[in-house]
Amino acid sequence: MNTLAFIVYLLITWFITVHVGLIFYRNGKSYILNLLHGDEKLTLFINRMLLIGYYLLNLGYVTMTIRFGKLLTTWADVITSIGTRTGKIMIILGAIHFCNMGILLLISHYHQLANNKH
Amino acid sequence: MKTSLNFIAYLIYLPIVIVLTWYVAHILFKNGKIFMEDIFHGKITIAHATNKLFETGFYLLNLGFAFIIMEISGEIYDNRDMLEILSTKIGGFSIYLGIMLFFNLYLFFRGRRVSKQKARMAEAYIIPPVQK
Repeated sequence: MNTLAFIVYLLITWFITVHVGLIFYRNGKSYILNLLHGDEKLTLFINRMLLIGYYLLNLGYVTMTIRFGKLLTTWADVITSIGTRTGKIMIILGAIHFCNMGILLLISHYHQLANNKH
Repeated sequence: MKTSLNFIAYLIYLPIVIVLTWYVAHILFKNGKIFMEDIFHGKITIAHATNKLFETGFYLLNLGFAFIIMEISGEIYDNRDMLEILSTKIGGFSIYLGIMLFFNLYLFFRGRRVSKQKARMAEAYIIPPVQK
């Protein structure tokens, strides 16, 4: 049953990562644009870098932690291990997401301070 | 040998948890839009984008938490046991969701207060408007 669990696990996590990444990419653009006061080039750059970094980090982590550690024999085992792993990855995704938003907010504060000084 | 009921317990637990999270997030962020429009002074696109970002983060954190606490250690052989364990888990998760809901509401209210304060300060002292 391990093979089946691998396939289901990879499909679920891959789907979540890509789907969420696209949502962030689309909605993040106007968010960053607002924070940087309409600096279009920098926004595009930051947004694309964030997306690429996000994909690399998450897909890499997902693939790295694929080892289940034990032989799965029952359906309950399969659901448990897939569920806990997916949960961990989702929490990590959420934490990184809120960290990103916070960091962008900080950047915009510095931006504003620098603008006011000139 | 009796068959264990763990699998059935998971099948009951997962839909309940997912529907619960979806319902709470749906209600919260449907009404959150109004707050966001207030916070961003009616700039609709940015308000909606930020709302969506928060919504996705909310889903990720809460569903992730629900999945992490999913594991039932030990075997269940008995309907009564299953009911008790499921009740504890779902009840605990509901309390957690409630706390998150109020935390989010607090953030909304705080954001609105701060943005109103800023607007008032800008009016009072005529700080040069933010360059575009």
